[in-house]
Amino acid sequence: MKTSIVGIGQTEFSTNSGRSELQLALEAIVAAIADAGLEINDIDGLVRYTWDSTTEAAIVNALGLPSLKYYGETEFGGVNCCGAVAQASAAIEAGLASCVVFYRSLNARSGVRFGRGERVLYEQDGNLISRQLEPPGDIYSAPFGLLVPGQHHALYMRSYMGKYGLTDEEVTEMLGAVAVAQRAYANRNPRALLRDRTLDMEQYRAGRMIYTPLRIFDLCLETDGAMALVILSRERARAFKSTSIDILAAGQYIHPGSAPMLLYAPITYSLAPSEVGEELLGNAGLSTSDIEVAMIYDATSVMVPLALEDFGFVERGEALSFLRSGGHCPGGRLPVNTHGGLLSEGYFHGLNTIAEAVRQLRGESANQIECETAFVTLRGASSMVLGRT
Amino acid sequence: MTVIRPAGDFLDLPYWKHLASGRLHLNRCDDCGAVRHPPGPICPKCRSFRNSWVPASGVATLNSFTEVRHPVHPLLAPKVPYIVTLVDLEEGVRIVSGIPAGHAVDLRVGMPLRCTVVKIDQHLALPYFLPAEQDQP
Repeated sequence: MKTSIVGIGQTEFSTNSGRSELQLALEAIVAAIADAGLEINDIDGLVRYTWDSTTEAAIVNALGLPSLKYYGETEFGGVNCCGAVAQASAAIEAGLASCVVFYRSLNARSGVRFGRGERVLYEQDGNLISRQLEPPGDIYSAPFGLLVPGQHHALYMRSYMGKYGLTDEEVTEMLGAVAVAQRAYANRNPRALLRDRTLDMEQYRAGRMIYTPLRIFDLCLETDGAMALVILSRERARAFKSTSIDILAAGQYIHPGSAPMLLYAPITYSLAPSEVGEELLGNAGLSTSDIEVAMIYDATSVMVPLALEDFGFVERGEALSFLRSGGHCPGGRLPVNTHGGLLSEGYFHGLNTIAEAVRQLRGESANQIECETAFVTLRGASSMVLGRT
Repeated sequence: MTVIRPAGDFLDLPYWKHLASGRLHLNRCDDCGAVRHPPGPICPKCRSFRNSWVPASGVATLNSFTEVRHPVHPLLAPKVPYIVTLVDLEEGVRIVSGIPAGHAVDLRVGMPLRCTVVKIDQHLALPYFLPAEQDQP
């Protein structure tokens, strides 16, 4: 890619924003443009999620944008946020627009809740009815009570346990290591929803089992808020801003049975084949050993060990030893989710995952790592390598 | 007890009508013979639109499972805990299933399973899978 991220903006994360998703989106976009040092009227492209309610037209009308030359829409929960950045970059490289904003706005706790069955079912005569054609909660899985993403993640973990022969105790140690480390990162991050709540291994073990083997601490936080990223050509970014972050590579990948939820893919203990990471890093001209910090979409803690293996940061089946030895912690071989992740900063559907990578490269993280390259993957469905020049 | 159902119009489709008649059937390509699930209009192997329905053998292995302890809808509170399974059929497809309420089972990934179709009412029946050595309900 020949593009850069020059602005990040967001509202506070909360469980009840008290304002409309349009209002939140506008606050995030205005903040991102200010962060970039640009003018609102510079925006000539928008990328949004079809799953969000705030349309491009609503943004254009509310802001009075003089001319929007490109608008693109994308799909799939949080896992395609890097794909949205790739789409913005492609539009810029194709000359369709010059300043593209990617925004998301969700009252995902006080409004529609992704972790609840009400999103996919409706009530009729005391029964619950599905009309969904694709998971989660589709007509083939809903009758058995498979309704929300976290339940699918529990299935991936059990499949992984079967593949590599992990015991319940080993899984507790592996996932607990993720949850506890990310909470410690969040405790130093003023933006984190759980900045004031500490978590140790003893508390983790005592956590309520939600979907075996996942405890409450393995699941992300329903969050209200909005975020926006501003993307320019690298050439234009360099000309006026010293802290622009380069998109070295970005890409999307799905295969049959892997999306929207991975249920029917041949393998259920891994979320992406190794060639996805090899191609992405190859496009960036880097290898795994060049990556200094990683942001991994952690809708549940399960995603962290799976992504570490899928992208070759550890050998397959070796995530337990990496995480048990603190490889993802401060001073570890590869610090992971230094904002606290979706588990402890807030579930902002992968956009905060990207924003933390940008903050690390700018030197603005609450848990700063010395780094020049950062890796982001959102369940392997979209991924990105960012760099500071 | 609350039942989670496909909307009524789906139950007129072959997959559900076969189940209501008592046996799991699978969608098979008439040209290359590949079986697919969920059912769909085109064969993902040879891209033929010609397809029909064949009875499943019911022989399967357990790909994964989870015990759901937290109800994600108020009407599901009386149903927890319940077990959801991912099941690999010998025909080469995977289906989502579960363990019928009231069966105490000791599950392990890779164990052999057998299909048992549980009738809910006149229009709806569901394909459950129990460990092969367990008594069928």
